[in-house]
Order: sequence, then structure tokens, then C-alpha cells
Amino acid sequence: MVNAMKRSWIIGGSAASLLALGSFLAFGQGLDFSGHTGLPAGVDISGSWYPLPFQDSGLITASGALAEYGGIPLNEAGRLYALAWHPSRIQGRQHQCMGYVPPYTYNQPGNLRFWEERDPYTQRLVAIKQYWQISEGTRTIWMDGRPHPPAYAQHTWAGFATGQYDGNALTVYTTHLKRGWIRANGLAQSDEATLVEHFIRHGDRITYFSVVKDPVYLEEPFSRTYTLGRSIKEPDAWQYDCDDGEQIIGRPEDQVESYFWGRHPFVREFATNNQIPFLATLGGPVTMYPELLDKVSDSAAADRAAAAELAPSAGPAHASRASDPTPTDGEIHVLPIQGNLSFLAGDGGNIAVQVGDEGPMLVNSGAGKISDKVIAAIRKLSDKPIQFIVNTGFQADFTGGNVKLRAAGSDPSVLGSFFSGQFVDAGKGATIIGQQNVQNHLMALKSPSQGWPSDTFVQARRRKYHNGEAVEIFHMPNAVTDADSIVHFRRSDVIATGDIFSTVSYPHIDVKNGGSIQGEIAALNFILDRTVYKHDEEDGTMIVPGHGRICDEWEVAEYRDMLVIIRDRVQDLIKSGATREKVLASRVTADYDDRFGATSGPWTTDMFVEAVYNTLHDPPARGSAK
Amino acid sequence: MRKRLAISALILTTSLFAQRGGRGPAPRTPKDSALYDITGYWVAVVTEDWRYRIVTPKKGDTGGVTLNQAGRKIADAWDPAKDEQAGEQCRSYGAAAIMNAPTRLHITWQDDETLKIEADNGQQTRLLHFGSAESGAGEWQGYSKALWEIVPAGRGEKPIGSLKVITTKMKPGYLRKNGIPYSVSAALTEYLDRVNEPDGNAYLVVTSTVEDPVYLAQPFQSASHFRKEPDGAHWKVRPCVTRW
Repeated sequence: MVNAMKRSWIIGGSAASLLALGSFLAFGQGLDFSGHTGLPAGVDISGSWYPLPFQDSGLITASGALAEYGGIPLNEAGRLYALAWHPSRIQGRQHQCMGYVPPYTYNQPGNLRFWEERDPYTQRLVAIKQYWQISEGTRTIWMDGRPHPPAYAQHTWAGFATGQYDGNALTVYTTHLKRGWIRANGLAQSDEATLVEHFIRHGDRITYFSVVKDPVYLEEPFSRTYTLGRSIKEPDAWQYDCDDGEQIIGRPEDQVESYFWGRHPFVREFATNNQIPFLATLGGPVTMYPELLDKVSDSAAADRAAAAELAPSAGPAHASRASDPTPTDGEIHVLPIQGNLSFLAGDGGNIAVQVGDEGPMLVNSGAGKISDKVIAAIRKLSDKPIQFIVNTGFQADFTGGNVKLRAAGSDPSVLGSFFSGQFVDAGKGATIIGQQNVQNHLMALKSPSQGWPSDTFVQARRRKYHNGEAVEIFHMPNAVTDADSIVHFRRSDVIATGDIFSTVSYPHIDVKNGGSIQGEIAALNFILDRTVYKHDEEDGTMIVPGHGRICDEWEVAEYRDMLVIIRDRVQDLIKSGATREKVLASRVTADYDDRFGATSGPWTTDMFVEAVYNTLHDPPARGSAK
Repeated sequence: MRKRLAISALILTTSLFAQRGGRGPAPRTPKDSALYDITGYWVAVVTEDWRYRIVTPKKGDTGGVTLNQAGRKIADAWDPAKDEQAGEQCRSYGAAAIMNAPTRLHITWQDDETLKIEADNGQQTRLLHFGSAESGAGEWQGYSKALWEIVPAGRGEKPIGSLKVITTKMKPGYLRKNGIPYSVSAALTEYLDRVNEPDGNAYLVVTSTVEDPVYLAQPFQSASHFRKEPDGAHWKVRPCVTRW
């Protein structure tokens, strides 16, 4: 940081310092530099910049052609994701204003502005800020040495970035990125991607060099350059508004177009139009290296190899390569979300805690393995006893802590009321709220009665006003079970989804207990009907999933899209007469397994696909989804 | 006031440095004063301008290169067979194109003042001269003058900067495989920067500008990069060809 200040000051622009600079250079090389123009290499990147239009000129306005994947080290999942991607997806409501992630954002056809933020008293460099016109994104590169946030924190388009000066470059490390594009033709960069970037300045030009590591979609690191030119004149063009709307009137919410592998009508178009060997256009590590010249020299062999890449390879499903953000250190970790809501992670399913003038309201109680620590964590958020616990389902990961957390609380709203005459313990513990089926299932499971919901409901919408805000609890019929609810804290604008939404696995659709793929998709669409983003699919309504990290609507939309696409593939196979075994062998989830799949444990990919098959083959008879 | 004093001190310091030449130890050679080490084996990672660099673009596809009318005329008349007949298969391997080719590089110090860059694809050799000896005029690789362009750092800090290379006097060639021309008047300015990744990988980032008053309406500015390889195990000599 001190070095940075010195450098900035030395390059700062006085005639004296330029004279000194010339002397240094002359001493260093013993060469005559007369005739050399422009600024010397340096690291201060402040100013207005724009992407130079020479390199990758055909890709600057965003997308590239369908099946133009050459030079991208895709793995099988990345290639299959792209091959299934249908361009009409961008007309979907949640996709219209999708933001840009780095490094893709530096290839946008708009202006970029970089500036320093310094402590007003010490003038030490705190952060380098960047603003990009397209998608109106702002990025903060922290230069003060702060750590990256925990894995269960929100991901954003800009990610969380820290930087340091490294030789003649500004080097930046980024985590917590949303799922974005490598290229907006279906080449996805997953939310597990991490990024190292180097901004190397040469006079009025920055060479931007980045290396993306993405365990989900890339076989090896993806390195690339972009070049930026400095705007001498302030461009005064910084906005790029976006607001989504209905682009196809009447399109059902559960319609997400995709190409079934092997049926993509335009898959050869780019190769044919540009006289490029088809195999080369499908990407993969070899397409980045000189070895590609050998790989495509035998055109017949190359065509055979290409044909094999258009569909999932034979073999077992892949397990997820993503890391589970759930803490496993035996401690409870607290993260404020927004408004009155905080997030507690570390004891099985996630717990949302609402605090205020009244006693805390919880959504779920965790697995109950470290409930004492959960209680201690809640006490740090509020000195009042827990008043309500809402169960979004009956699963042990969400209700395991009911008994202890209930006992640690009290509900003054029923203490001394007519309930007191009917229930000896009325008001002596927190009140547990749940859809009637939650109670039914817990009773059937013979779990301790002290942990059963005492305040049950059967209507579609249970409402309360608590801690200064409206709280709505919606029953989601036949989603992962027949007992699911979501909870919407309206003023805080936070939705806790229970097991309907997870960032770590496919939905645990429990067909035996009333779950169905149809109800699950309907529930996700119901959530999306209630969410509002603040700007370009970011922030606004925040989402607490049953498992995994804090999100906003973007991740829910992606999850919904995935489930619709998988549903359609299974449905297609059923229509063609495929048996359960044939469906399982078809690897219909091959483009998502590296992110959500499991080959062992309580909920494997095969179990999920079988649940989809079963509920499509024999749809649930009751509790039609909303 | 403090700033003014600092600037004065800086000027004094640099002047002293500049005058010390004949009395102190012998000046360090460019090899000794290298800001970073770029020697070794490197492989091109062709991820940018991919369809122009690793496959042969279609005739007339000049995307990203702003040709003038004369340049456009030559690009449109590209005839690889004619180049073969003329024995000019190496037209797309000249200095203005070779660092964009799908190739491996072997970089060594030929002597204290000359860096040698060999490319296995097309079997080309570039010599980057830090001294003043002129040579190579009229060859595919032209004449390259190199220098460590140093940004002054704070007192006691390691100097930083880039390797800058200016190449002129190139035999007329192609910027891309499909006959996009550059003339003998073209000048190529390059920066060769090394970046080190946390995972241990190292990359050579090449920032280049081709200016050509004969065929280009605007300078052609691009960048490419190479990843360090442990040795020459994958070195594979390939002759010049007119099409990949």
C-alpha cells in the first residue's frame, strides 16, 4: 500500500518527476529513449477505459455464435450445458437483466471507470473501485488486506475481490461470484469459479490477463487477455438501464427452452460457416494448444470424435465438484442478512432468525446436534426469549432442534390466554408453527411431542405480524414433501425456503411423503413471483435456502431452470417409451451433476432422477401445486 | 513543501546515479539487470482471437484488423498456392504474427545483450537486441531492439517494469494465416510481461501493436499469452505452411 502511494505520487505528473523518471530510465539501460511515446509502464490504473475493438472483435457485443466454444477448456459438463442452452433463455424474466461477471465483463461494449478510494485521514489506499457501463456494475477491489467472507455468504456479479501490487501489475483475487458467462452463448462460468487477474498498464493501454479456475465447468484453468484503451476525454456515457418484462406473452412459468443433446439444429452452423473443423469448435483443453493442429489433421477421425462429444459419455453419474459452504467445525456461524434477519449455519439445515421488539422468530431449528450453541448465538442477537419457531418441513435437519429451542423460549402471546386453561404448558416455551402435515409426520415418526408444532395451519397462507413486520407462511403443496412451507419476512424482504431450494444438492423430492417434481417447480416459481431484485438480478429479496449459502432470486431462477430442463428430458424419454432403467442410464443430469450431483450418501443423483421419473410417470393425485 | 523537497532529492539521486558510470563497478548487463526471468519453454495458450489464430480463417475475414484499401485488396487476393509456388510459406510466421501462432517458444540468453526466442512452429528465431548491433533487416523476424522499461520504485524497493521490444525492417508478411498483409514499413511494438500465479503457473503475456502506414488504417493492438512449461518435452518442430 505504501509502495502504491509512492508510485502514484512519483508518476503523479509534475515536470520534475518526469525528468527524474527519464534519468532513471537512461541509467537503467544506457539507451536513448527519444522518440518513445506514451507513459511508462505502471500500475496506477485510474481513469476511464474502454475495450479495444481489435481482439475478439466478433465477441465484443456479448455472445459469439452457438457452438462456438473453441479455445475454452470445457469439461464434459461445461460442454453439455452449452449444447443444451437455447438462445430464447435470455427472454426469460430473470435472464433479461442478468449481470456480467469478470473476466467476461471486460469484453463489454461500454465504458469502464477505475478509481481509488483512500482513507480521508491517512490517505492510505483502501480499495480500487471499478464501474462498468454495461449492466451498470460496480466492483470493489479491497487493497487493505481484509479477508474474504465465509463460504456461506452471498455471491455477486462482481464477486469479492482483494488486490495487491505485484511487480508492474495490479493482481486481484476474486471469490463469491455468481453463475455467469464465459461467453453468452451458453458457455457458463459457475458460482464455484475463482479468479486471478492482472492489470498491466502500458501507457494508455491496459493488458488485462485473467485465469479462471472453475471445478464445475472447466477441465483446466482458463487464461485469457483483453486489452483496454484509455479514454482521454470523459465519455459521459455510463448508464445502461435494464428492466425485465414479458417478452413472450402467455409463456408458462415452467417453460424453459433447451436443446436435447443430439438435436441442436444449429450445432454445426459456426463450424460450417467459418470452415473450421467441427471438433475444434466444441472446445476442451486441446483446442487451446498447438496440439489441436494434430488432432484435426485426420478429418474423419475428428468428425467421429466430435460426434461422441454431443451427448453424455457412457458411465456413472459424476459427483459434485462444488464445495459445501456449510461450516463443519462444530460452531454456529452467524451472518446478518438484511433488515431484522440473520442467518445461522452450522447445525444441519439453515436457521433464519428474525429479531426485534418482541421475541425472536426462527425459521427452523437445525439438526439439534449443537442446539445449546444455537441458543447462545440467538442470545447474542436478542436478549428476549425465542417466541416462535416456524418449521418449513418435518425433516430432521430442520426440526431436530425443536425441543431444546422451544424450551429455551416463551410465547407471551398465549401466556395467560384462554389457551392456558387447556394446555398446562401454554406459553412456557416458544410456539412452534407448521403446516398440519409437519405435525402429522412428526407424530408418525414418533418424535418427542415437545417438538411438534402446536400452532398448525391448513390454509394456503398463514400470516402473522411480528417484530414490526408482516410475516407470511405459504404452504407449497407436493414440493419436496406434502408438508413444505416458505416464510416471507416482508419488511426485511427475506424468504426462507426450507428444503424446496438448496445450493448444494438436487431437491430431496420425497415421493413417498408427497413430493413431486411438478410441485417443486411450482414452489420455485411461487418464490420467484414474490422476489424483486434491486439491480440487474442482484440483491433485493434475499433467499435463505434450506442448505447452502445466502442467495438472491438469481440462484432460485437458475435452480428452477435446471429442474424444468431435467423434467423435460425425463418426460421426453418417458414419451418415447423409456423404462426407469433407461432414463437412469441416459445421464439426463450430466450438465448439472458436477455442481449438484452425488454418487453416495442419503440423496444420490440416481435417487433424484428416479423421483422425477416416478412423479412424471405417476403424477401425485392430490394437493395440486399452486 | 515536503513534496517539493522529495522531488529535489529524487532528481539529485538520479543525477548522481547517472554520473557514477566511469568510477564505480562496471554497468550491469541487460541479462544481469533483467526485471524478471522469461527464459525457458513456453506454450501458446490460444484463447483469444481463437478463430483467427489456431485455424485458418476464411479468405477475406479480417475481423478486428482495420485495413486500408490497399490492405483490403491484398487480403482479398490471398492465394496460398501462389505463396507456396513462390517459396513464401513463412509469410504468416514473421515477427508481427509469430507470437500469435499456435507454437511453443524456447527463450534463452544468446549473450549478455541478446535474448533469443525460438518457435517450434515454422522454426523461426527472433533475436531481441539490447545492444546497438543492427542486423536481420529484411528477414521475416526483422530487427528487434529491446529494453527493460523501468518504473522508478520507492527507495529500497525492487525496480519494476516491462520488457519492451520494437521490431522494424521485417520482410512483408501476413498478420494472420489468411493473407492480411503488413509491409516492410510496419513497426511492431511489444511488451513481454511475466506473471506468476498462486498455483505455481507462470505466464508470459505479450502485448503488441502493429503500425503499418502502407496497409493499416489503424494500429492493430492485441495481446496473447504463453504458459511456462517445465522443459522441452513437447517441443515439436513444424515447417512453415500456408494453411493450418
